[in-house]
Amino acid sequence: MQILKHKTHIDFIGKRKPALFISTLVNLAIIVGIAAVGFNFGVDFAGGTVVELKYNTPTTAEQVREKAQAGGLHDVSVQGVGAAEENSFLLRMGGVTQLTEENAEHAKAAIQGLGETRNVYADMANGIVNFRSSQPMNAQAVKKAVEAAGIGVQEVRDLGANQGGTGYDYQVVASGMADKVFSALSAGLDKPNFEQRRVDYVGPQVGKQLRNRGIMALLYSMVAILIYVAFRFDFKFGPGALLSMVHDVIMVAGYYLVSRREFNLTSIAALLTIVGYSVNDTIVIYDRIREDMAKYKGKPLPEIINIAVNDTLGRTILTSGVTALSLIGLLIFGVGEIFDFAMAMLVGILVGTYSSVYIASPLVIWLDERAHAREGHHGAKQEPKAA
Amino acid sequence: MDRGWWWKFGMIVAVTLGTIWFLVPTYYSLVVLDRSERNNIAVLEQRLPKWAPPAKYRLNLGLDLQGGIHMVMRVDTKTALQKRTERRGQQIATYINDKKLGEVTAETDPERLQLVLTAKDPATMDAIQKEVLATFTDFTLESRNGGTLVLKPDESQVNRFRDEAVDQAMLVIRRRIDKWGVAEVDVRKLGTDSIQISLPGRSNPEQAKELVGTTAQLEFRMVDDTNPQVFAQMFQQHPPPADSKITLVEDEGFPQLSSPNREALLAYTKDKTPPGRDVVTECVANPVKKNDCIAYRSYLLDKNVPLTGESLAGADASVSQMNEPEVNIAFDPAGAREFEKLTEAAVGRRMAIVLDDNVHTAPRINEKIGGGRARITMGRASGRSFEEWLGEAQTLALVLKAGALPAPVTVGEIRQVGATLGDELIKKGSLAALVGLALVVVFMAVYYRKSGLIADVALLLNGLLILAGLAFFNATLTLPGIAGFVLTLGIAVDANVLINERIREELSHGKSARAAVDQGYDRAFWTIFDAHVTTLIAGFILFFTGTGPIRGFATTLIVGLLASLFTSIVVTRVITTYFVHGRNAQSVSV
Repeated sequence: MQILKHKTHIDFIGKRKPALFISTLVNLAIIVGIAAVGFNFGVDFAGGTVVELKYNTPTTAEQVREKAQAGGLHDVSVQGVGAAEENSFLLRMGGVTQLTEENAEHAKAAIQGLGETRNVYADMANGIVNFRSSQPMNAQAVKKAVEAAGIGVQEVRDLGANQGGTGYDYQVVASGMADKVFSALSAGLDKPNFEQRRVDYVGPQVGKQLRNRGIMALLYSMVAILIYVAFRFDFKFGPGALLSMVHDVIMVAGYYLVSRREFNLTSIAALLTIVGYSVNDTIVIYDRIREDMAKYKGKPLPEIINIAVNDTLGRTILTSGVTALSLIGLLIFGVGEIFDFAMAMLVGILVGTYSSVYIASPLVIWLDERAHAREGHHGAKQEPKAA
Repeated sequence: MDRGWWWKFGMIVAVTLGTIWFLVPTYYSLVVLDRSERNNIAVLEQRLPKWAPPAKYRLNLGLDLQGGIHMVMRVDTKTALQKRTERRGQQIATYINDKKLGEVTAETDPERLQLVLTAKDPATMDAIQKEVLATFTDFTLESRNGGTLVLKPDESQVNRFRDEAVDQAMLVIRRRIDKWGVAEVDVRKLGTDSIQISLPGRSNPEQAKELVGTTAQLEFRMVDDTNPQVFAQMFQQHPPPADSKITLVEDEGFPQLSSPNREALLAYTKDKTPPGRDVVTECVANPVKKNDCIAYRSYLLDKNVPLTGESLAGADASVSQMNEPEVNIAFDPAGAREFEKLTEAAVGRRMAIVLDDNVHTAPRINEKIGGGRARITMGRASGRSFEEWLGEAQTLALVLKAGALPAPVTVGEIRQVGATLGDELIKKGSLAALVGLALVVVFMAVYYRKSGLIADVALLLNGLLILAGLAFFNATLTLPGIAGFVLTLGIAVDANVLINERIREELSHGKSARAAVDQGYDRAFWTIFDAHVTTLIAGFILFFTGTGPIRGFATTLIVGLLASLFTSIVVTRVITTYFVHGRNAQSVSV
């Protein structure tokens, strides 16, 4: 069996200018979109709490939301997971602990009401209120007072007397959000009518750290691949491979931007896979261009590239098709992150195939022309040489 | 068929059989064993047939697939540093006053972690500054304004202190989790000030947070030695059940009960403990993996807790004039008085140092100890080197400090997946992978006929190799890992497509079957190699820079690419060569 019965003679290179123009436009639009609207960051990066619940009885997202709001959770978003009859919901909140800007003030007031205190300050990131008291305090009393102000307390820590004799230090550690969700949703019930399936808390600092590390991983691998391609092939091949990689990554980022699917650590893994796939595809075509450059000495580069791309077209379509085929299972049965991963991969495979033909290859011509122009200036003209 | 071919064929058969053999522990842990025993390496070890590889070479399921809690705790080193700076400031003030250089007050700026010394008489500041900077070398001068001196803790000291604080916290967390009885816990340092904890099978994040996040409880309690034979009598009068594995051991003349199972030991002694007494266990550390307990031993302690860690001012390990490692502890004034009273009444008895319900050591009180300073001499018993004893002393000092100077921990990240969700995910994930694989296998067979079937054989071997490779590295299979698995199979297919397309091309140029196969493989080789290496580079960078799920994905990718290089270049070629050369075929089925 054969997909392309006859040898094709499509003039890919002739259409490089409009293709480059459209690609640049789409890429810029995505970058502007990211800057203006931003991703729908998951808790991995944004910090916050996600709780997944499965109800035993038929329940709607609206009922869950009402119950949560009645229990004092106002900024919670409720989203159904899977089919409606699964009764599974994702609850998403901004905070990690019950200490928020708003109720930190109540907590401070409650502590100050207990006696002579100073240095009362809320460490929002860690969900801790620190204070120094002139008298030793009873931890239970502190806990009660802060809880009366509406904040669940996990522990009151006695840090001991200050060495200068100016007082005694204490820390009030707020409970997590999940606790509050649990108590709000099971309020008035003997036994919760749901099962807690998943809880993710990510503190804002950790989130930032995870995001930075993810992005750094992406950049490092792109640079390393660029170096490998530049040495293995020729320096004029490097930038093309790099730019088509950047193009593909931006396009897949565009998928996350437009679909509003959650952007998290798995999304970074997806982007990285795209980098690998994109370069894989580009390398195969570059390899053929290099081979044909040796074979058809004297032919102009654009013509050679057209031959190379046409010769490998069957393989390109087939490989993309088979890889897409292997993703079908993930697209049908994959839930949540797996589905997003497969979808992002599918987008990546399509744009990756396109970019190796329309972006990676034309750039080689452009760099080659520039090199010639410069060499022409300096005198001796050289034949294009393969590494 | 020449000899070289047979060699290669033999190698492939050996690799295939070796791969299947290597997956036996994985098969047992995921399929044969009950889910509750999945993480219990001891059970797995017992159930495995004799000929199987060691149980440690098995594929673990990530917490996202089997359910459990993953958490990252951040050690609040800032608070600990602030307390330390405060203490040092007080020492400096006392020193200056004692030396009669003038009178200073010390205050700590909690935000900037600086120490501010203010002299009563600004004229004395010159002399004070000189003396302080010469004596307290762990501080450097930040600024000076008349009678006010701003000092900053030395950077290297701060870093050392920070490391120590994280080590302390790790020690405490490890002990607490061991007490909770979770199998296969993983506690490790993450970055400079975080600790990563994995608790497979656990489902209550709030409980885990409380267990790990509360401050350590240090107690000094007296050992009840009025009847040294209490445990021996208990053992003889009520023989313990065999499955509790309780045995009678003797330590420095005192019979103790010992069991690898803490719960069983406590349950056995529960109703046999004399009134007003508690049985508290001591962890016998594994000599190789210091943080693991190989057994727990019983101590009979007074219920009354006369002194807690709150009275402790500091602890340090040092070496005595007799060249023996020792731990020096210091109490605050109130604690010192209490300690003196306590030791006076209890000369000759043993005092247990208990951290979070774990007896750490129980030294004998030789004399009344006044002045708030005590020394625990480690001795030099046989069988252990000086370094080991010194290490022990340092650990004890750490434990004491962990109770006395809390470096509070806060939650950086908690992820919990319920067991049923984990089961569902692994079911759906593997179904997705199998469907993807089946589609590809069928397509290849239809499209390339016999060559496609050969590629399919290679593909299946590739899948087995990935699983065995992951088992070998004792890697953890996560959700993104499954996705990486599918992707790698896609890349492996691409290699076969490249080869077959090349062979077709060569055939269309009118080459013979043999020449087409040879040239097809030779020409495709470097393309496949380059394509794999570039993706491998991405994989390695991901592995070294990524965390959590990214790392899981990278591991699968790396193992998969290496396997794919082997199967697509070596395995398919050996099989194809058999059909083309061996059978001397005139045509090749692609």
